[in-house]
Amino acid sequence: MSLSHEELRETTHGLIFPRQTIVSLLVFAVAWETLSHLAPFLGIPPFAVPSFVRIAKSINTITPIDIVVTLARVIAALIASFVLGLALAMAMYRSDSLDKYLHPMIRLLMAVPVVSWILFAVLWFPGVEFRICFVLVVVCGPVFLVDTLDAMRGVPRELRHMMQSFRPTTWQYFIKLVLPAILPTVFTSWKINISLAIRVVTIAELVGAVTGIGHQLSVAQELFSVADVFAWTLVLVALLFLLEAMVARVEARVLRWRT
Amino acid sequence: MNSGPPPIEVRGLRKVFRQTTTGQSVVAIDRLDLTISPREVVAIVGQTGCGKSTFFDLMIGLEAPTEGFIHIGDKSPHADFDHFRGKIATVFQQDRLLPWRSALDNARLPLELIGLSEEKQRERALTWLTRLGLGRFTNAYPHELSGGMRQRVAIARAFAVEPDILLADEAFGHLDEVTAAELRDTFLKLARECGSTAILITHQLEEAIAVGDRIVVFGQSAKPLADIHVRQWPKTKHKVLREAIQATLQNNRPDPRLTIAPNARSSPRRRGSSKDN
Repeated sequence: MSLSHEELRETTHGLIFPRQTIVSLLVFAVAWETLSHLAPFLGIPPFAVPSFVRIAKSINTITPIDIVVTLARVIAALIASFVLGLALAMAMYRSDSLDKYLHPMIRLLMAVPVVSWILFAVLWFPGVEFRICFVLVVVCGPVFLVDTLDAMRGVPRELRHMMQSFRPTTWQYFIKLVLPAILPTVFTSWKINISLAIRVVTIAELVGAVTGIGHQLSVAQELFSVADVFAWTLVLVALLFLLEAMVARVEARVLRWRT
Repeated sequence: MNSGPPPIEVRGLRKVFRQTTTGQSVVAIDRLDLTISPREVVAIVGQTGCGKSTFFDLMIGLEAPTEGFIHIGDKSPHADFDHFRGKIATVFQQDRLLPWRSALDNARLPLELIGLSEEKQRERALTWLTRLGLGRFTNAYPHELSGGMRQRVAIARAFAVEPDILLADEAFGHLDEVTAAELRDTFLKLARECGSTAILITHQLEEAIAVGDRIVVFGQSAKPLADIHVRQWPKTKHKVLREAIQATLQNNRPDPRLTIAPNARSSPRRRGSSKDN
């Protein structure tokens, strides 16, 4: 049986994307490697553009404990942010007056730059772990809150009306209608916040932390080791992809009704 | 069903909305009196904007009357909202199924709300889906079903609690005529078997005549223009009945061919006190 034109397009489309990705990554790698060899002739200090052999050596020196510590900080802070964001979103959804009071404050929190939060955290709190957690929660929490609150308000009126007509308790209404209805947005919010948290935790760890990827980046900067910075950055990117893939897997399972 | 559904008494019912843009008051229902006997199937017909859907919302209990009251037995569907959990069920114009639930899980939703055991929920939902011809589609999600099948699931969901009162708002209006007629018949048959009182809001006269024991014709602000006992009209006269209702709706006054039943008339101005308010 021969494939239709559409089926052929779909089959080849699945191959074109990774091939293009591989090609673009290879072009970057070749350009980097070439630049690392040409650096002395171009007046660039050799340490600024290390070769892949040097980067590979740096990757070998990566300490897993720093990865675990950063990962733990990110996951703990994301869970705390989500619980806090969801709880506040539920309260604001239930109470218009609470929403009116809290909404401007949330907008204000979201407008504060991450660097300012890090400085506030350093000035306010003595404990390093609390500082990092505070910065992550204050950055990611409002995103969870705004996303889930918008999703709650976006539950179609027809479904709300139908559900109310069967007279659920407040808890049943939330568990059987609101929560499943907002799940697609919750997953999107998690994916956005994972990316945000990975970037913010690195900056937060740069200040005062003695463990974690951010701290290792700070050490690499003090040693002028671009290879180490490159290696730790690769770890961060891999970590981000891994977490996103995990969320995507859970999402595909939970939202299988959409397929 | 144990002792059967209680009678429904509507007295001096008034509902006024304030328009958010202009701030003006709109009288959706103006002093409606209506009595519905247990197990009666009543079709309410009227033109768009006559207050049918407001009456539907007041019957469900989602809205509070501005004046007057609705009593089902001695309880108000609004003031005694929780009392009617599992006793009033609704079928809407659109199926309003939860897209993340299978047909079975949609049908058992109201059973979950009344706290029936998992096993009984499943058993009863399955029974009703099978009775509605969906025995092979229990695991299908709503998007995998046709419009008629989705509406069958919605009907199964309503019947699953074996309610005292069934409310249907234009429940078959969006379906093709063959499917609508088939579902109307099924709905009526099941309502009779269940012994439920059924109130159907519709703008389709054929549907009202086919389904209702009684037809109440609403004019503007839900003023009852006619209360027709369909059984008094032989089938051969249904064409005349249809034309008479049509004329009543067009002229906003009772057509001479219809007689207003004594238990469905507009009440005099400012009548009695409201128990709901």
